[in-house]
Amino acid sequence: MPDDVIQLLVGGLLLGGIYGLAAFGLSISFGVLNVLNLAHGEFLMLGSLAAYCAFVGLGVNPFLGAVLIIPVFVLIGMGFYHVLLRPISDKPPHQLPVASILVTLGASLAIEDLTAFFWERPITGIAYSLPPLNIGGVVVSSLRLLILLFICALAVVLQIYLKKTFTGKAIRAITQCRDGAKVVGVPIASVSAITFGLAAALAACAGVFYVTLFTVTPVIGIPLTVKYLCVVVLGGMGSLVGSVVGGLILGLAEAMTAYYLGADWSPCAAFILLISILIIRPSGLFGSNG
Amino acid sequence: MNKVQHSTAIYWSAALAVAILAVLPWLSVPYLLVWIFLLAVYLTLAVSYDIVGGYMGYMNLGHSVFFGLGAYTTAILLNEGVHPVLAFGSGVVVAACFGALVSLPIFRLRGAYFSLATFGLISLMGILANNLRNLTGGSGGISTPPGDHGTAAYYLSVVTAIATVFISRQLARSKFGLALFSIREDEEAARAFGTPTTMYKCLALVVSSVPASLIGGIYVWNVTYISPPAVFGLEIALSPIVMAMLGGTGTIAGPVIGVFFLTLVQEFLWTKMPYLHLTMYGIIMVLVGLFMPGGLVRTRLFRAIRERLGIGEKAGYQRGN
Repeated sequence: MPDDVIQLLVGGLLLGGIYGLAAFGLSISFGVLNVLNLAHGEFLMLGSLAAYCAFVGLGVNPFLGAVLIIPVFVLIGMGFYHVLLRPISDKPPHQLPVASILVTLGASLAIEDLTAFFWERPITGIAYSLPPLNIGGVVVSSLRLLILLFICALAVVLQIYLKKTFTGKAIRAITQCRDGAKVVGVPIASVSAITFGLAAALAACAGVFYVTLFTVTPVIGIPLTVKYLCVVVLGGMGSLVGSVVGGLILGLAEAMTAYYLGADWSPCAAFILLISILIIRPSGLFGSNG
Repeated sequence: MNKVQHSTAIYWSAALAVAILAVLPWLSVPYLLVWIFLLAVYLTLAVSYDIVGGYMGYMNLGHSVFFGLGAYTTAILLNEGVHPVLAFGSGVVVAACFGALVSLPIFRLRGAYFSLATFGLISLMGILANNLRNLTGGSGGISTPPGDHGTAAYYLSVVTAIATVFISRQLARSKFGLALFSIREDEEAARAFGTPTTMYKCLALVVSSVPASLIGGIYVWNVTYISPPAVFGLEIALSPIVMAMLGGTGTIAGPVIGVFFLTLVQEFLWTKMPYLHLTMYGIIMVLVGLFMPGGLVRTRLFRAIRERLGIGEKAGYQRGN
């Protein structure tokens, strides 16, 4: 029984790490662009597909794949920003929400449907495994531990990037005060593009790990975006720590639900968490204001 | 003077349209009847969506939840042998109660967050419909007792659609409608001026749930079978909203024009192409968002037509483009 609980914890933490990684992408892109990207989950799905193709076709190791996929998706995300989001960013404030929902949700549907059209069968994950690890009598999959370590390392790198580099500081400046950042000469458009690329890359990177653990289908994108929303609301906006902790809470809640109530019910966990957090503490666990 | 003549002409053509709709079932055009039935379903959904989405400015992407709740409640009660009218009524009550209940937490979100959360509500409902097998029949769906009520369902749906348009029109001219517009324009200011925004938001959601759940009940009564993807799927969730937005939200003519336009497009274009319907919706949404977030009725062409007909927007109520 303790063995089960530990497996559950590791599974939940891992899932949570993946959610946290992608949710942070959603959070910074919202902070900088002021647009909630409803197509965020699609980047995870596309990242999973790319990793799967690379693994099956070329035998690329998932960890190498996760590193390689970052520059590719930074470019894709920047392209997405320039084609779809930049034209609407100068719309008047009352039209911006409607326009952004229409554009990102429309893009999300189109991506999903096109992928499903060309890719009919579900992907049953990457058959990549490492010998299990035996720590004090508890058997833990070393692949899962490695992924968890990788995610932690990525979070640290990201934190350093945001705190130390010029672009990272610019991203935080725009999140805190858009007009102020504009006044002191931060190039809003190019920083927005980079942020969006970064967000897409984080989602795609999470997707690589997702496909090593779960089955991926073209239609997972929108439900995943809802989960990221839950994580962002849980953790509060724009905080990396908040996103990671929110992700961990959601991951654990889902693993628990799946274990005790059955896998059918685990998708409900995100929503029930979201509703309860909204009733109890609308600003999120770590946020100061809504 | 000119304007009066125009509006008389409009009333006459409306009366003519109602007369044609009334005699259609005797002309043995079954395909047309089914088409008008579906048109009425979409029209009801689009116009009732617009009460929250257009008038109040909260994009409720989960509007089809009410449709599904009405349909499932009606189906379950019909199987218990309840009279259809009572079953429709119960569907409406269940959906309205659900709307009131869910409005409390969900209206704490704004903008895109609200939209995404309501969108998640659909998948939550889909999961519930799949998992509560004893009640809903699970993923296999639920069938209702068959019977020949195509004509009755046709009349009911058309009457519901027309009534919904009428109610929406009356609402826009009432104090309640004014409160909704003020919430859309500036919620803080509305509250500061003493508008009970929380109550009005809840009320708007409940009002918009009534036609949607009623038409859901009529739908299942007519087609006698529903499954979770049919009522909680993406297509039924997004079509009415895309139609309303394409036409132009926050107006009465907008959703109506959008529904007719997109239903005709579906009829002539999409039936020739069995795949990629969602892609089409997606691309239409992107294009509307990029080029005319105000919808068709706010484009220059339609504005000119409207001015000729003298059915312009109420200047104080509607947001200009």
